[in-house]
Amino acid sequence: MALDFELDGLGRGAHVLQAGWVEVSHGGIGLSTARSTDVRSLRQLDDQAVTVHGIGEQRARGGVAVRDIVDLFLREFAGKIIVAHGASVEREAISRISKAAFGIAIPVRTVCTLALERRLKPNLPGGDAYRLAATRQRYNLPPHEQHDALSDAIAAAELLLAQLSRMPPGTHLGAIETH
Amino acid sequence: MTSELASIETFLATVPPLDRLEAERLTALARKMSVRYFRAGQTILEAGSHNDHLFIIRSGAVELRLAGEELTARMAQGGIFAYPSLLRGGEVNNTTVALEDTLVYMLPAAQFHSLRDGSQEVREFFAENESERLRSAVRDLSQKRSNILEETSIAGLQRHRPPVSCHPQDRVAAAAMTMSEHDVSTLVVCENDRICGILTDKDLRNRVLAAGIDPDTPVHEVMTRDPVVLPETATLSEAMTRMTAGGFRHVPVVSSDGDLRSILSATDILAFLGDSAVDTGTKISKARSREALIAAARRIPEGFARMQASGFHASHVMRFTSALGEAVHRRAAQLAEIELGPPPCSYAVVVFGSLARGEQLVGSDQDNGLILSDDVDGAGEKYFDGLGEWLSDLLHECGFVYCNGGIMAKNAAQRLTLSGWRDRFDHWIDDPDEDSILRATIFFDMRAVSGEAELARHLHKHIRRKVKTNSLFLSYLARDAQRSRIPLGIFRNLVLEKSSDGQKVFDAKGQAILPIIDIARTLALAEGSPAVSTIERLEWLAEAGHMARSDADSLRDAMLFVNELRIAHHAEQLRSGKDPDNAIAPGELSPLERDYLKDSFSVIRDALESVKRNMAGGIV
Repeated sequence: MALDFELDGLGRGAHVLQAGWVEVSHGGIGLSTARSTDVRSLRQLDDQAVTVHGIGEQRARGGVAVRDIVDLFLREFAGKIIVAHGASVEREAISRISKAAFGIAIPVRTVCTLALERRLKPNLPGGDAYRLAATRQRYNLPPHEQHDALSDAIAAAELLLAQLSRMPPGTHLGAIETH
Repeated sequence: MTSELASIETFLATVPPLDRLEAERLTALARKMSVRYFRAGQTILEAGSHNDHLFIIRSGAVELRLAGEELTARMAQGGIFAYPSLLRGGEVNNTTVALEDTLVYMLPAAQFHSLRDGSQEVREFFAENESERLRSAVRDLSQKRSNILEETSIAGLQRHRPPVSCHPQDRVAAAAMTMSEHDVSTLVVCENDRICGILTDKDLRNRVLAAGIDPDTPVHEVMTRDPVVLPETATLSEAMTRMTAGGFRHVPVVSSDGDLRSILSATDILAFLGDSAVDTGTKISKARSREALIAAARRIPEGFARMQASGFHASHVMRFTSALGEAVHRRAAQLAEIELGPPPCSYAVVVFGSLARGEQLVGSDQDNGLILSDDVDGAGEKYFDGLGEWLSDLLHECGFVYCNGGIMAKNAAQRLTLSGWRDRFDHWIDDPDEDSILRATIFFDMRAVSGEAELARHLHKHIRRKVKTNSLFLSYLARDAQRSRIPLGIFRNLVLEKSSDGQKVFDAKGQAILPIIDIARTLALAEGSPAVSTIERLEWLAEAGHMARSDADSLRDAMLFVNELRIAHHAEQLRSGKDPDNAIAPGELSPLERDYLKDSFSVIRDALESVKRNMAGGIV
């Protein structure tokens, strides 16, 4: 499951404003599984982040409550590996909100396309070369709309397909899991 | 919860024919799709396998090869493939390989079929073969371009003057006097208030004077019986179509009760459209001097550009432009006679090539010659030497520049007696070789524009009889037609060819129109058709059962479609002050035009293949 969170800041305590996800497998990406949702946050929004993501405070307040999101995860993500570009953000956010909701961090397995790219192409100069847009370009993937959770999730899923095409056929996701 | 696939929908909305769908339909469609990635060199579909998806290229490029061998197409972003297999129930004919790393969107077959079921436009786009798609393309273009013609009824442009008529028992001489008195070129023949015939200037010339008929003959013996009439509710477009199809310039217009209302002429239509063509035509035929003719003729390109802008169909633009060209040639010959004195014997000015076929656009050079009566003497030849030179020079000034190949009346080789022309054609036909055929084909499209038309008719008849029985000559013609390399389509901004990797511009004339002309000419000559224009030849072939109706129609559609592109291209060049040419850059074309162009190429290639198979066999 490719997942992307848009957060209200860059810090450790940042809140999730929007989540987008889509299922991806060796066979491709099924767009019928694509979902995105705004997440309700009671926290005062960081003005700067709000501008970037285009999600105003009002819209954020109208979103799904964080608690419902956790329920949703348990249902939709059960047994699935989460794919994201820079997956630590998603992993940490999930553990943070599940801790807040149930008192325990849900264990998540992730495949990080960024980490994978560092493995596939270890010696690219500069950190920017590993950003999602730049990485996609190397695989001849089209430009994507950034700072939209679903669009970023699909972008990461497409990138994973491209990366898998460079690996031995039948490479299991478990083999490229990020720990 | 939202589920927006906005960026995917935005992309799909740029891809024909999905661009015609409503936003909601597109949203629903996007959600049915899956996304896959293929590495460069990877096979996406294998010929012989089963497929159940429609493929849309999001990024990258693919190559299609029939049965894995022959290159049939290359496509890039926005390209759609594999639908022919869906229409066949899943059987894949083309092996498709990713040329570059490629991201595709795939729509399941069930959704593809319901998409087709839901929209005629989509259905036509995904038609089973190129011919059907091309047909809808030509229809689309016509619809888009000719609203004025479709929306205006001919009642709106009838003259106030009542039509002039006569009785079928009237004598021809009396009818001619009536026409002269009212200064009309067409007379309606009525009995008991019903139209029973029509008599034109041309009829008087061809059926009375030239045929040596007694002027006392009753009109009904020489008139055209039961002419095509139009109801006054007919649209301009219908009127023009009937006129073009029937090859006449005048049509009686009747009320719903069948009463004669007026005579509608092609000139009335042009005048209504505010076009300068009619004005130019009048100026040409009335030009009293070289200078006046040159001035009038130089307005033809402007009229051409205006016709294009007013939404005229390609067939009409060709026809009207040719009519003007013909008028210039005729008037130039008349002025030459005024200048040099009356001709010492009968002769005809003949034109060859596009003008003869009635398919001229702007920027053509002159292709003409003289047929002299066999009784011409030394002094006569000297006269025509002068006339030929005078004519070619004047035409050059008029914008019909000197012919590179020397096919013009100023050259002695182009001024032969009827017997001389016969010998020349006999030589081409009896003793063909590749080189002479290459230069001779243009002569087989011939028409008299001035002087004694009978001379040209004799010659043409002779050629027709002779060619029909000469299969060796025909096989040379058939092989000559194969000279052009027909592109596969447009790939990226290159014209995709089988042999080379592509070129920057597409030669709309050489790579599409000339082959169609060649095909029609070869087949028409093989069957002894008297038709000269390509569309008439195709029509004749279909009518006579020598060509499948669907093939004839497809070639016609391909020709009209490519000529639409040529005409738009020429008009644009004229508007920006450039000399018109036929080099169309892929960037000038819309995605849809590229698709239709690809279909046109396919139709032409198939027809060439069939000509080669059936006729070129004798020498290959």
